[in-house]
Amino acid sequence: MASITSPMPRDQEAWNEAYDRLVGFLHTFALGDHAYVSQLALNLLHQARDLHRQDPSRDPVTLTMEQAQKRLAKWLATNLEQEGTAPSHILAAGTIALLLSQVYRTAPTSFLANPLPEELRQALRETLLVTGPDLNVSSMTPRHFDYGPMLQFARQTWHRWDVKEFIVALLFWAGIYIVFYWWLSQLL
Amino acid sequence: MSAPTPPTDDFVVRRSVFLGLSIFLTATGFVLMLNSYSGQHKSWEDYVCVGVFPLLFSQIAVGFTLALFGFFDRLRGGDRHHIMRGPWREKEDSVPLAATAIVIPVYNEEVARVSKAVANMWRSLEKTGQIEHFDFYICSDSTDADHWVEEECAWLSLCQKLNAFGKIFYRKRRHRINGKSGNVADFCRLWGKRYRYMIVLDADSVMIGPTLVRMVRAMEANPEAGIIQTQPYMVLGTSLFRRVLQFSSHVYGGLFSQGCSMAQMSSGSYWGHNAIIRVAPFIEYCDLPLLPVPDPGKRHVLSHDTVEAALMRRAGYGVWIAYDEPGSYEEGPPNLSDMLTRDRRWCAGNLQHFWFLFARGIEMGSRLQIWIGLMSYLCSPLWLIFLVAGSFGAYFRARFLTLSAAPEDLGAATSSGAGLLLVLTLVLLFLPRLLGLLTTLPRARQFGGIFRLLLSALLENLMSVLMAPVLMMFHTLFVLLTFSGWQIKWTTQNRADTGLRFTHCLALYGWLTCLGLITYPIAGQFLGHPAIWLLPIFAGWTLAPLLAWVTSGRRLGRIFKSCGLFVTPEEAQPPPELQGLGDDGAELPPSPLWVQALLSPYVQAVHLSLVRQGPSGDGGAPTQSLAELRERLIRDGPQALDAKEKLRLLWDGETVFWLHQELWARPGTQLHPSWIHLQTECGNNRLLSDYLMAR
Repeated sequence: MASITSPMPRDQEAWNEAYDRLVGFLHTFALGDHAYVSQLALNLLHQARDLHRQDPSRDPVTLTMEQAQKRLAKWLATNLEQEGTAPSHILAAGTIALLLSQVYRTAPTSFLANPLPEELRQALRETLLVTGPDLNVSSMTPRHFDYGPMLQFARQTWHRWDVKEFIVALLFWAGIYIVFYWWLSQLL
Repeated sequence: MSAPTPPTDDFVVRRSVFLGLSIFLTATGFVLMLNSYSGQHKSWEDYVCVGVFPLLFSQIAVGFTLALFGFFDRLRGGDRHHIMRGPWREKEDSVPLAATAIVIPVYNEEVARVSKAVANMWRSLEKTGQIEHFDFYICSDSTDADHWVEEECAWLSLCQKLNAFGKIFYRKRRHRINGKSGNVADFCRLWGKRYRYMIVLDADSVMIGPTLVRMVRAMEANPEAGIIQTQPYMVLGTSLFRRVLQFSSHVYGGLFSQGCSMAQMSSGSYWGHNAIIRVAPFIEYCDLPLLPVPDPGKRHVLSHDTVEAALMRRAGYGVWIAYDEPGSYEEGPPNLSDMLTRDRRWCAGNLQHFWFLFARGIEMGSRLQIWIGLMSYLCSPLWLIFLVAGSFGAYFRARFLTLSAAPEDLGAATSSGAGLLLVLTLVLLFLPRLLGLLTTLPRARQFGGIFRLLLSALLENLMSVLMAPVLMMFHTLFVLLTFSGWQIKWTTQNRADTGLRFTHCLALYGWLTCLGLITYPIAGQFLGHPAIWLLPIFAGWTLAPLLAWVTSGRRLGRIFKSCGLFVTPEEAQPPPELQGLGDDGAELPPSPLWVQALLSPYVQAVHLSLVRQGPSGDGGAPTQSLAELRERLIRDGPQALDAKEKLRLLWDGETVFWLHQELWARPGTQLHPSWIHLQTECGNNRLLSDYLMAR
């Protein structure tokens, strides 16, 4: 008790930080009742201090926030009747339920409160987030496609670079051009 | 699946008239061109001009013929063979609807704009009483972590606001393969079987409910139809550039589409958005083949729509243009620079289509579409060659005349053939615009009245004349870059009319000013009077930076609007589906938003619910590199990570959950100072929860 009533300056600094962090965290739930948030924070902080007495090597911030997360997970699991579910799952599903049911807004003082009134529990449990319809997988693959004469022409051009063939092609097109030039000069 | 019988119609007559008239006009121009050279000394530049001319002139002839077809079709009150005018229209309401997905691919788009558009379309569909047949899919390919998280929040907010859980879905693709076409194909693979039709939209598209319903009914009533493309009109422009574009799309666009529809019928165009597609044949026949090029990185078809339409036709299904269906909208590029960015992509895509021009099994109508698309960009270098060769020809001829002192041999510009050719060219260029204007006159009131409509059309023509040489030079550059193998990246289209900086315009278009200022005096010196014909080109080049700059901002757009110029029907009477879409200052959640997925329990929960793998919950050990990344983020702050690293973290549900716990639980000495600030901001900011709950 002595360490609580007359804390060392370093320790006090850590607990102040723990309090600020906890209040900041609770505010992210957008609870409308600020007095309740402070009350909740003090309550959680008190529990953390008790734990700290048992294990003074733990950092107050870490201890406080772990306590808050644990309590939140337990509270959500109890009210969603999903005890035994992994905390990461229950925290995600429960927080969504909290958001969609708007319990945080309509009844801010019920946040982390036990027991939760039945209608609020019902509201939480009824909330369902449909993220996507069931997959109905189809196979969509390109059909055989015949690019026709251009492909053959291109393949011959790209894959068989040969100086001799290049000169022949050059002479061929030069011949075509000369014939075309001659034809135009006759025409005009 | 067996392909249905192709529709029987009077294809042959229409196509014969279309091709015949186009060829006749091209041949007439060519004969006049040859005639203008008769009895003169010919040099190499004349042969170049003669060689290039038919290709150039054929494009003008095709455009003119399409406009003429469109005008004729309007005069006779529409095409009775058209799919949208079948007997089903008499008992339209009795045609049952089928499950339809509205697919909206997004890629780092303005999230608030997309959300509002979805909300407006939803409400419009609700009014029709047919909402139960439609589901919305926002298919994200966003590569920016902030966009991703904002899209997730916007999705939740949208579902909450519209009570649309289970009707509006959000899907983020992990591997962004094959751009937009890959995004749509991914939807088809995952959920395509659930729907008979899908309506593909762009991020800037809006369609009104009655039109969406009618499209589905048209498909139901015509089982041989594979794609029906609506005519999207440009809307919501505030910059002068965009307002001019949307005016032009309203006055002339519909006429060309109608002409195209009349000439092509069931071999029409598909533009990749604002169109309804029969899903089953699309899945079976329309996956894009790889291009047979040596470089594996360049085998993907960049511009998918034309190829998909060709594949659909090849499978025996019709591709139609519903040219007169109202309520199909899109937004145009806000300024010249953004239009050129878009054109560069389109140019690369259209030139790739060359592969399909001679492919086996492609229908004649599809080949024609591919050819027109190809030539729309190839014409620019050809035009430049024609101009340069023509100018040299004129110079040598003028020099020859001076030396020979033979006044009777006045050269091409003054011969009767050249005169007639000039008249024919001007007619082919401007008559379609005149016809478009004529068909708009009965609705002149929607465009601000007859006087303002005519004045707007005059100014639009002036702007087109000045823009054309600028586009020619840039398109030539794009063609050369594409041929040289320069890789084109698909980028997000800018849709904000925020204006361009003059320094940007000077840097981008200054070389054209220099070109204009240097070449015009030279041309004047060497060509003499004929140089006057080149004045619009030189003027366009010289004024390019100024033109790009003044047309990009809203100020001039507002002035013209207040004068009643470039007014469009949607500006005069905005439909409810467009309301709020052009507004600024949307309620934006705090930034950087991706950090909120780590700090805010609500945003984190939404993210974890949507990331498919989800948190494993068993605390499985991350890979070493991922563990290092996590620690770096905590130690060095969010700004220490690059875009790819942010995405990597967000994709791993376990990591997101772990980081949320650690960022709140670690003492300040172990965190980067920016985290303390972000935690405070996250705790104090109610905007986020308000945004999520759409209050």
